[in-house]
Amino acid sequence: MSKRSPWWLPDFITRHVLFAMVFAGLCGIGFMVFLIEFDHHTSTEAFCTTCHSMELAAVPYRESAHYMPTSGVRASCGDCHVSPGVFAATWDHFIGSKDLFHQLFGADYDDPVINALHLPDAAFSAREWFRERDSATCRRCHEQDAIVGKRADTLAIHREDAKGKTCIDCHINLVHRQVPARETFKREAWNRMVEQEFGLATGSAEHLLAE
Amino acid sequence: MWVGQGLSTESKRMISNRWVVLAVLCLAVGAANAAKVSLSADNWGDPAGQECVSCHAKSSAGITTQWKESTHAEAGVNCLDCHKASADEPDAITHEGQTIATVVSPKDCGRCHTAEEEQQRGSVHAEAVAVIAERLPAMVTNLAGPAIEAAGCAQCHGSKVEMLGNGKLDPNTWPNSGIGRINPDGSRGSCSSCHGRHSFSKAQARAPQACVRCHSGPDSPDKEVYEASKHGMAFASNHDKMNLGADTWVAGKDYSAAPTCATCHMGAAGKLPATHDVGMRNAWNLNTPVSERQHLVVFADGAKRELPESMSAPKRGTKVPKLDGAEGEVKMVATPDRRRQAMTLVCRECHGKDFAEAFMKQFDGVVALYNDKFGKPARAIMQALYSRQLLTPAPFDEPIELTYWELWHDEGARGRHGAAMMSPNHAWWEGMYVVGRNFYGRFLPQLRAVAGADADALIAEHIGSLPEHAWLKSPQKASPILGVGSARGGNE
Repeated sequence: MSKRSPWWLPDFITRHVLFAMVFAGLCGIGFMVFLIEFDHHTSTEAFCTTCHSMELAAVPYRESAHYMPTSGVRASCGDCHVSPGVFAATWDHFIGSKDLFHQLFGADYDDPVINALHLPDAAFSAREWFRERDSATCRRCHEQDAIVGKRADTLAIHREDAKGKTCIDCHINLVHRQVPARETFKREAWNRMVEQEFGLATGSAEHLLAE
Repeated sequence: MWVGQGLSTESKRMISNRWVVLAVLCLAVGAANAAKVSLSADNWGDPAGQECVSCHAKSSAGITTQWKESTHAEAGVNCLDCHKASADEPDAITHEGQTIATVVSPKDCGRCHTAEEEQQRGSVHAEAVAVIAERLPAMVTNLAGPAIEAAGCAQCHGSKVEMLGNGKLDPNTWPNSGIGRINPDGSRGSCSSCHGRHSFSKAQARAPQACVRCHSGPDSPDKEVYEASKHGMAFASNHDKMNLGADTWVAGKDYSAAPTCATCHMGAAGKLPATHDVGMRNAWNLNTPVSERQHLVVFADGAKRELPESMSAPKRGTKVPKLDGAEGEVKMVATPDRRRQAMTLVCRECHGKDFAEAFMKQFDGVVALYNDKFGKPARAIMQALYSRQLLTPAPFDEPIELTYWELWHDEGARGRHGAAMMSPNHAWWEGMYVVGRNFYGRFLPQLRAVAGADADALIAEHIGSLPEHAWLKSPQKASPILGVGSARGGNE
């Protein structure tokens, strides 16, 4: 008798099964809460900059309009670089863990010179990431039809001329250090610029990249 | 001397008259085609360029409207035709999916405007950076600071435009439309210096205002000289009769109200064809410590340079160092006489032969006066002061160095330019008067201050024997000029 289900449940739902279901449900909720909290926490500037290499990316960010807009609406790292939706966000964090791997076992990205030399490749893949998602993270906040702007005709440009384009096609170099588009990027010119910035001998950038 | 070393004895012989005639003829043929774009229209009107227009009509309506009203737009030449670049060019950027360059160089313009590009190549305009290369460091470092180079010197003479690794044009070198700009593609010059962006109007470039941005001020007051001359007066009064926008603009035929800067230095007149080599018709160099008449040497690769008349003109086919130091094969030489002849052809559209030649005599007289009375002795005295170590080698740390610099570079140039372009005020009061005042009132006293006991000997050596300065030996000879009673002269 005691092992039978209540009358409103089918016979195969025994009490053990019921306990297991409730437990699993609670676990599921807990897991989802965990993912949400995990994604939330791992999308913050504080978390991202626990790696020194990311601190280097954060310096120009803190001077950008996305960090200190007059409206006070601040976009954190994850607001732009982690997809909306808990599953997509989790996936992005999973894929993003390769950065952690590289941080631990790759080049010394904490060194500002090494970091600057590798930055263009990071910028190119980030731009590609935005493009593949139709700039989904931009559109979290920015509604294309609602972009009025301060200059005349900004509205018209966003309605007429931006058709078939995605935000990142035009809006690059907004937040981080200026990097040319991949198509016209000149590695040699970039290396010379980094050498000059850090007072290094000409050609030392190629050496550092080869290491 | 610098170039003479590179010349063989044979080449030092005067160039034969036959070659000169041929040379000038070649120049004439080249320039006669200048007005035409020989390229077929298939080479422009890139359809993708229409997309630029749609957005830029909104984002930068000013330049878009200028372009829309231009002859370029009329002919179907759009943004991409001039701004398109290939990805390997140093200043190529990716913009809205297109590979473009911000800086449009003479090489770009020369794709269609071939003759004009060839003419301006190697001209005194295109080489305006080389002209001041030796002077620039002392100007920038000693008298001013690096900031003046971008905002001052380079805005007229041109910068060496650099692209930074981050895809931005170096703000120390751009924006710049200096006439001798060294472009990322290696070409020299900036067409928009005179043909302002984005209307590229012929009329604008033919008007004297096109030159004012650089040819004004104490050292090259050509704007002021022109405005004060009969030519400038005639232009100001007859602006509406100048036919400035005409397709062909031949002096005496398409207009006759007044000559502008472009008329005499570039324009077609009678049988003389137009040229974009702005210095070709100048026989003298007027912006030097001592003026000398100059040969114009044209090299086989289109490069040009001037050589002083005191050196024999190199023969066709000989090797002479170019301005960049590399050896070049001489294609032709225009002697100072030929250059003067070309300029005189312009005068002759309005003036008689005797009038034009007599005017040139008056002009040459002022140059000779400047040279012989002030330029040469002052230069010799300065050389002596340096060689006797009475001056430190660094320029501008002693007052006499500033006085000497201004003597030839400022008032000396003003006086010579004033005589060249008929402003009596600049020839005298702004020019030679100031030269005389500063020579007697500053240069000689400062010389006495630095040379001490040596001064009298230096003065005796360099100006003592010159009849132009003989009046100094008669201090008792009075004149009423100062209006002071005691100095009244013998006229009364």
